[in-house]
Amino acid sequence: MRHSTDSATARLLRTNWIYFLVGGVLLCALFCMSLFIGKYPLTIDGLLSGNDLQWRVFKTLRLSRTLAGCFGGFALAIAGYIYQTVFRNSLASPDIIGVSSGASAGAAVGILFLGSSVAITLCSFGGAILAVILALAFASIDKSGHKSTVVLAGIAVHSIAQTILMCLKLTADPEKELASIEYWIMGSLNNISSHSMIGNLILCAICVILSCLLHRQTLLLSADEGEAQMLGVNVATTRLIVLALATIMVASIVSMTGLISFVGLVAPHCAKKLTGNNKLSTMLLAGIIGGCLLTAADILARSIAATELPVSIFTSLIGAPFLIYLIAGGKQKL
Amino acid sequence: MSLLTVNNLSSGYGKKQILEDISFSLEAGTLCGIIGANGSGKTTLIKAIGGILPRNGECLIEDKNLSLLSKRDLAKLISMVPQKSGISIDMSVLDVVLMGFNPYLGLLQQPTSDMKVKAARILECLGLTDRIEDNYLHLSEGQKQLCIIARSMITDSKLVIMDEPESALDYSIRYNVMDTIKSTIKDSNRCLLASLHDVNLALNYCDKLLLIKDKCILDIVDLHADSLDVIESKLRKIYGAISVHKIATKSNTEQLIMLKDMEA
Repeated sequence: MRHSTDSATARLLRTNWIYFLVGGVLLCALFCMSLFIGKYPLTIDGLLSGNDLQWRVFKTLRLSRTLAGCFGGFALAIAGYIYQTVFRNSLASPDIIGVSSGASAGAAVGILFLGSSVAITLCSFGGAILAVILALAFASIDKSGHKSTVVLAGIAVHSIAQTILMCLKLTADPEKELASIEYWIMGSLNNISSHSMIGNLILCAICVILSCLLHRQTLLLSADEGEAQMLGVNVATTRLIVLALATIMVASIVSMTGLISFVGLVAPHCAKKLTGNNKLSTMLLAGIIGGCLLTAADILARSIAATELPVSIFTSLIGAPFLIYLIAGGKQKL
Repeated sequence: MSLLTVNNLSSGYGKKQILEDISFSLEAGTLCGIIGANGSGKTTLIKAIGGILPRNGECLIEDKNLSLLSKRDLAKLISMVPQKSGISIDMSVLDVVLMGFNPYLGLLQQPTSDMKVKAARILECLGLTDRIEDNYLHLSEGQKQLCIIARSMITDSKLVIMDEPESALDYSIRYNVMDTIKSTIKDSNRCLLASLHDVNLALNYCDKLLLIKDKCILDIVDLHADSLDVIESKLRKIYGAISVHKIATKSNTEQLIMLKDMEA
């Protein structure tokens, strides 16, 4: 009996191993490409010969941007996986509890009243966290603890944040501030520097590790509330912890990059379609796909036109056809 | 000493009371069926004892007051089979069964290989060995129900509560499954409380029947102590014109059967 269980598990691990290998190689390739492609092209020769300008561009701009792309995509995908599992909704994304709209409103406050990039990052982070605290506070009014209450509270907070954002846009200078707000909402990895991102990435990494450790609890939350409770899960507390971790991940990434659409939605779907299950390996594969998606989108955003384009255009352009390919049965051909 | 004692239990949804003043007790090794019409409160009783619905009154398992226990400790004492599981994401059958060990695992702990072997063994008993790594969502409704029954039987919880466990199972499988459940409950000296729609199944596998009507327990049938006439008269309070017969099968075992009296 032990043999049959182990051999079935081994078969599954072998299949997942291939996906991890392909995903890992692709992510490494994109990482290297991202380091050298851009407005100021870097060369290996230039770096090896100790070219001062090339080293400065590499250290202060390109490396941090590439790390933010790989790790940001990874974290957004993990957060999307958690939202989709906990809410049992395949369309769930950070917006479902108002995270993205809170971050947007916060960023708009930063752009209008403070101006510096660090202040904008802090304000958008604060906005995202505040939105989730509000959503959970509204949800706690209903003592039943239904997860639909959290979703409805999130929709209410999303609407409030959108209204605040509209009011802020009305007061913004159309030439500079309004353009900055719109550009922030479209998302870009352009202004990320090593000193501004280190705290966010560490915070995000801690949340990713904790989310991996709590993966079994996340799966239990996907059952009915009564069923999860009868399996010994303290549903309200566990859901709060798991969602808080996912939200901090999203907040720490979007506060650096602006809104990045589609990664948190498409990457978990791709991973689930490929593996056909929801094991921890599926969550990690979703992260690798997310990292690939955002890094590839960023490479295109900075190299396809004379001016830098919003990264969300390319995350959708790359992600949507791949998802459709998988839905149409392409998995068997991979 | 009784394993399960329920005193003056009342429960419902919001302000609507579905059950009032329910009291009964069950000994260890007892299989107890809950019988009643649709909407009579069978599921409510199951959920109230399981702590899913708010309740008034007292529920004790071996003198432990269930209201004072944490969710985790409660899950160690009671395992449950819901009418329909809410699992709606892709998971292997093995992973679904392993969920039953959650009360015994730390927050960050993973199931051990011994737990996996135990899960595989119980799946074998219920005829699901060849589906162990299959996607739970790809199983038939009956196989899903078997998988959830396996999850509830995998631990040593004192009380197993089941809400219509037989509803999705076909004729022959429901008898096989009830055989497995009965032997497990008796061997481990636990207790089963199950709401059942199939009265004939209840008559032949249970030791006691709680008859529920009009928010309360109308009567309790003791299938070992009550005579055939007494059983019939008690069941008539729920089902009207019926008769209960003891018949011998071809293998010379005796079975109880309830028949509806049809007009000529």
